[in-house]
Amino acid sequence: MLKPTKMTKVVIAGTKDQIEPTISIFHKLNVLHITDFSKETEDFKIGRPLKTASKFSEHLLSLRAISNQLGLKESEPEKLVKVELSSDIDEKITTLQKEVSSRFDELRNIESRLKEKEDLLSSVKPFFSLPLSLESYSGYETLKVYTGYIDIDLESQLIKIHSNFELFAGEYEKRKIFALFIPKEFEGEVQKFLQEERTYVELKVPPLKGNPPVIVDELTKEITGLKEKYSLIKTELDKLKEEYSEFIIATDEHLSIETQKSEVPLKFATSVNAFIIDGWVPSDKFGEIEAELQKNIGGNVYLTRIEEEIDEKEIPIELENPGPAKPFELLIDTFATPKYKEIDPSLFLFITYPLFYALMLGDVGYGIIITAIGFVITQKFKTGGLNAIAMILILSGIFSTIFGVIYGEFFGFPIFNIVFQGHPEEGILGIAGPLIAGIHLPIHRFESVKPLLLLCFAIGIFHVLLGYIIGFRNEVVKHDLKHAVYAKGSWMMVLIGGVLLIAKVMPSLMSKSPMPTRDLIFLAGAGLMLIGVILLIKGEGFISILELPTLLSNILSYSRILAIGLSSAGIALAVNTMSMDLFIRPKGILLGGGIVLALSGVLILFIGHLINLLLGILGPGIHSLRLQYVEFFTKFYEGGGTKYLPFGHKRKYTEE
Amino acid sequence: MVDPSVVDPAIVAANAKGIIAIGAGIAVGLCGIGAGLGEQAIGAAAVGAMAEDEKFFGKGLLMTVIPESIAIFGLVVALILLFVF
Repeated sequence: MLKPTKMTKVVIAGTKDQIEPTISIFHKLNVLHITDFSKETEDFKIGRPLKTASKFSEHLLSLRAISNQLGLKESEPEKLVKVELSSDIDEKITTLQKEVSSRFDELRNIESRLKEKEDLLSSVKPFFSLPLSLESYSGYETLKVYTGYIDIDLESQLIKIHSNFELFAGEYEKRKIFALFIPKEFEGEVQKFLQEERTYVELKVPPLKGNPPVIVDELTKEITGLKEKYSLIKTELDKLKEEYSEFIIATDEHLSIETQKSEVPLKFATSVNAFIIDGWVPSDKFGEIEAELQKNIGGNVYLTRIEEEIDEKEIPIELENPGPAKPFELLIDTFATPKYKEIDPSLFLFITYPLFYALMLGDVGYGIIITAIGFVITQKFKTGGLNAIAMILILSGIFSTIFGVIYGEFFGFPIFNIVFQGHPEEGILGIAGPLIAGIHLPIHRFESVKPLLLLCFAIGIFHVLLGYIIGFRNEVVKHDLKHAVYAKGSWMMVLIGGVLLIAKVMPSLMSKSPMPTRDLIFLAGAGLMLIGVILLIKGEGFISILELPTLLSNILSYSRILAIGLSSAGIALAVNTMSMDLFIRPKGILLGGGIVLALSGVLILFIGHLINLLLGILGPGIHSLRLQYVEFFTKFYEGGGTKYLPFGHKRKYTEE
Repeated sequence: MVDPSVVDPAIVAANAKGIIAIGAGIAVGLCGIGAGLGEQAIGAAAVGAMAEDEKFFGKGLLMTVIPESIAIFGLVVALILLFVF
């Protein structure tokens, strides 16, 4: 919590004949973060992959090719499949590959033949309407043949050139088609005429023999045959896919693990007879590792703890948070992995992120729907980033529902009886809001902009102050107290002093009364701010004065909490008013405009709220995150750590 | 004829309210345009940097939203105009 997991630097050394069992043990333990060995010396070189590496990766390659050809998708495992590595695997993969790729090749072959036949068919079809067999269009010594589409009365035009010709005409898909036979000596003239005729489109005669109807029949038959064959092979492939998908997925995982294992020596330092692994393990796991090594290998491999001071940058970071705050690590990692000695802010995000989200959204209806959406996603994705996002969504949804009660909003409709802009409005529950902790519920957002705005600023001040406090602690750890006072303490003083100052100055500015220059709080604020600025200049130079206004803009930035909330509530209100007052309940009478009008009102209601809901997930989500990243994190967060990636693999489909 | 020197206070109040609303609108609108102009170049560069290396996400986001404070200033001015005055 708040700090990353404590890590211990370890060195593992042993003779080369122990390299394989050592790898196996550490892979199974899944705790060792290996530091790459990169500085080769005369005695120590970068290790070579195990002999099995090339074999495994080859198998993996062909397996992936198969699963690609079968179009296999990774799905959640229904049950664990135990795969035993034996010579059997080689054979199985080879035969499977043969079966799949031969069928796959055949499919490709059929596809290309189908394409060919279909092209032929479409080129024969136009000749259907001409009473000639296809071979009679070619093979003449003294005749020239023209075939094509034309849109004019060709005969009358040809007579102008010569009367010696034979013309066949027909129609295909409402276009005129012709075949013209003329003696070769008129070729030039006719050619010229046709070239100048804009409606002429040449049509090539396909290189086939026989009557077009017969040919079309044959081609159609062939195509049907090919299609049948195609679907037959396809079903065979589908059957193969169904039969072997489990095997393929499980073997894929198994081989990936084996490849990973056999390639890991690339990170080791090896001499002629020995190997050395440099790495990190979580400190509390050290004993377990030691025991495991002792049990399996005995004294042949040595594990040593390195206690000396080490560069902080080297230490891998494993964030450590209690379950509910765990999903928020995703947001931290998206921004930057923290350094080893930095505070891990996941826990703060766990509280403030949903809080800001809910302050913005604050609607019982939307809150329940968002919680439900999150719940559905968690059911579908049990691990990974999407699961984390869904968990965040659930939490935010629950908070939003609570704030919906406080704001008294259900899809923009009032829950409790309220007086809005002087008009009494009846709520869904039909009762007046309860009195909780001295506050009359509901707090209607449009009616109480000013107090809510002040609340937002107050939240901003506390949030930024919290950031500085964490920053102060980080500076103390990193440098010393003096440095922390200069770098963060000064800002805290400026912030607190500024707030006191503004709290006193603003009201008098508004009411145009003289400045309360003798007020104690005013003087304290001014003094604190002055000391802060002096410290800041002393610590970071005059240039830092330029940064002072950012503090103001940071605090003002929190007004977005109100602004986004108002816009979301405003859209909901607009949708409700429009559909209710104009369509569903015109002039206060239910169904006063007929059933059709009422139904279109319901449609408007639905679409409007759907859009608002989508905006309601996106807007508050992003802006709440932005307040964390920009306003909060900048006060203390540096980041730049390396993520802890232990050597090992979580088996999803297979058992050890 | 209506004496121009005698003005109905109700009309004055309504006019003042309308002018305040226009002022608020101008404040938000112009600030939004300003922020957008500022953000477009930074955003494009930030996305470019992220395409090269995803680690730039955090820094890119920070840089991109710096001009956004302009829009927030406009918003605050508008809120004060509308609800506090």
